[in-house]
Amino acid sequence: MQLATRVHRTLQVGRTAAIIWLSYKVPSTTRKLLGRPPADVATMSARHERTAERVLGLALSMRGVMIKMCQAIATRADVFPREFIERLKQCHDAVPAKSFERVRAVVEADLGKPLDAIFLEFEPTPVAAASLAQVHLARLQDGREVAVKVQYPDIDDIIRTDLRNMQRICRVYEFFDPQPLELLPLLQELTTHLGFELDFQREAACAKRVRDLFADDTQVKIPEVYEEWSGERTLVMERVDGIKITEKDAIVEAGLDPAHVVQDLMHIYVRMILAAGFFQADPHPGNLFVTPEGRIIVIDFGLSKELPEGFGLGLFELMFSLMTFNESAMVRAFEELGFRSKTGDPNTFLLLARRMVSRSDSGSFEGEFTEQMTDELFEAIREDPVAEVPSDFVLVARVFSFLSGIAHTLGSRANVLQAMGATGN
Amino acid sequence: MSAQTEPTTDQVDYTEQELLSDVSCVEPLIANGVRCHGGFDEDGQYRSPRTRFRTPAITAWQRQLEHQGHDLLQISPDLIPPTHPSVAQAKLLLTNGAREPIVRALTIISIVEGFGAMIRDVKVPNLRERVADPIDGTALDHLTQGLFEAHARDESGYRDEGGHKQMWEAARDAALENPKIPGDVLMRLMGRRGRRGGAQPLFPEIGEPLERMLGLMANVLVVEVIAEETFEWGISLLSDPSVSAAPDAAGAMIAHIRADEKPHVEYLRTALSEVRARDLKTIDGKILPGRAVIDGLLHRTLREITRNRPREQREDIREGLEAQVAHTPNARALLEEFDALESSWTPPETTGFEPRDAA
Repeated sequence: MQLATRVHRTLQVGRTAAIIWLSYKVPSTTRKLLGRPPADVATMSARHERTAERVLGLALSMRGVMIKMCQAIATRADVFPREFIERLKQCHDAVPAKSFERVRAVVEADLGKPLDAIFLEFEPTPVAAASLAQVHLARLQDGREVAVKVQYPDIDDIIRTDLRNMQRICRVYEFFDPQPLELLPLLQELTTHLGFELDFQREAACAKRVRDLFADDTQVKIPEVYEEWSGERTLVMERVDGIKITEKDAIVEAGLDPAHVVQDLMHIYVRMILAAGFFQADPHPGNLFVTPEGRIIVIDFGLSKELPEGFGLGLFELMFSLMTFNESAMVRAFEELGFRSKTGDPNTFLLLARRMVSRSDSGSFEGEFTEQMTDELFEAIREDPVAEVPSDFVLVARVFSFLSGIAHTLGSRANVLQAMGATGN
Repeated sequence: MSAQTEPTTDQVDYTEQELLSDVSCVEPLIANGVRCHGGFDEDGQYRSPRTRFRTPAITAWQRQLEHQGHDLLQISPDLIPPTHPSVAQAKLLLTNGAREPIVRALTIISIVEGFGAMIRDVKVPNLRERVADPIDGTALDHLTQGLFEAHARDESGYRDEGGHKQMWEAARDAALENPKIPGDVLMRLMGRRGRRGGAQPLFPEIGEPLERMLGLMANVLVVEVIAEETFEWGISLLSDPSVSAAPDAAGAMIAHIRADEKPHVEYLRTALSEVRARDLKTIDGKILPGRAVIDGLLHRTLREITRNRPREQREDIREGLEAQVAHTPNARALLEEFDALESSWTPPETTGFEPRDAA
């Protein structure tokens, strides 16, 4: 990447960060000096709204890591105000595609052969383009139809520059603000996840692992990665066609019941997360399809994650305690999952649990109630940030949030227990 | 509905609050440090939770049904498959240090008990519209007026009172001294239960919500009846001092669960018998005998469970066992001895609920 581009990106991020910081700091300092009370909820909400809009604008113009950063922020309801979550949720990572010639150069360099030696046909226009890579349809010499995912040529450099910029800004911000939002851990997490997504060999191994997990499940389709034709920046996969999972009309037209699709989808993720402890952590609608026969297709295993031993059972216990309002079981589950008290106060989780159990008389395992309880939990932690939420939990909550969005779109809800195959006792 | 006679003088209408209310106890039930539901009366006798009105109510509904000339449906004890591993096999494993399969089995039982909470999420259609005969003052009329909720609370616990889930965990932890829970518990559980797609409708003419509700009730009833064998197994195993560190406490805990489950079996068989004694309205306004529907659903459930459950349990245990003892010097001998203790069981040819041609 050219020096001028680097400087330009640095200045853009720095300028926006300074404007945001001042937009919060100036009014609050002025109020303090004038002896006025802090701004009311409506004023703060409007300010959050404006700021979130500004961040979104920056991300859409800069793409790359900024998009990923916004997506990460949108998952942290325990850290950021609701206005940020709502606005930045809209941040999708569709970007203009790179030219075919640049793609060809990457594939040929990566696989060490001319394109024609590997592929009988290679569609020059990509079918999808995201922040790190784009996908082309092709046909191998032996006639197999494939999808080829190719990493952008200069993506490593862009990511390094953007991450460095954001790290500097976070440090400056933490220096000036005595009670900062904890942005550096978030950035660290983002760095880890981007590392996963750029490692195509890891992605191939993850896809195989999930494919093996569902090998005997006729309702799930995980495309095979052809490792002999894949490299560090190129993945060649079995081509699979299906209806995008949020296209309800097309699903109904195919004779499928959207409620079954939702339940099957929930089953797949519950099985990966709770039972296998290893999951594809990016179930946005662009990565999920349904075949006309009703099989769920899952693609893109770049962001896949192994959970610590016992995490699935711990998560199940937490869900269970939330749904049955069992305070002491909730406290045990928080601790087993790795939630930590920032103050060291042993009552931290008891107070958190009390807030959760006080909200209703009777629980439910229906999707809507589960979502409400998760929202309530994050809100409680954000309002009184004494608990440190483990990053694995955040990632899992993000997955369930995506699934919930898909369920909404399909006009149905999933029941967690049913997804586990429960029939009751 | 036939054989309508004078009503009984028993009280047959109850509020939800009544059906959820407890008998008074002087001492709570504490299981391995966890406060559980129920408790002990002045005579030191265990009293199940939420039975102050629920037990007499179920008796009254059953008397009423009998008074009206209808039978309570009965699932034959011959249909209950033995628990695998048998008590003798389980003791063999525990005394030889192969604890994991038993810890896993007990943990799965506790989770499945907790799954009982989903009964409160059952969508109940308007039964006054879907049942052709009156349902006032029946168990059927009280499903959403406390019966399902009481069942859910009994199984999964409610607020800070543990239910059967926590009681099985407590029995396991006391008897086996807080064992490490195998990491594959949920995978094993879902591997067996995770088949999706649901059963094909048997009676599409009554509509999916009604069939789903009745099917789930039939299924839960069968599981509850079969659980009787599991309680016997649990009590025999965990109250044996040669394998249990807390034979009295662990055995008693399972006996309490067994006592708590009785109202579940009784209200479910009562409500399903009430449907059996009535006609159902199909979605196009025709009439279908409730007996045909209930018997059809029970027959299917019983046939599936009696055929599949023993095999699934055997496979689960065998798989876990082989993996656990693979590296031990006496693995082969242990497996041989385990297999020698295998009891054979063949499900009866009939379930007692075979569809009738006339239906």
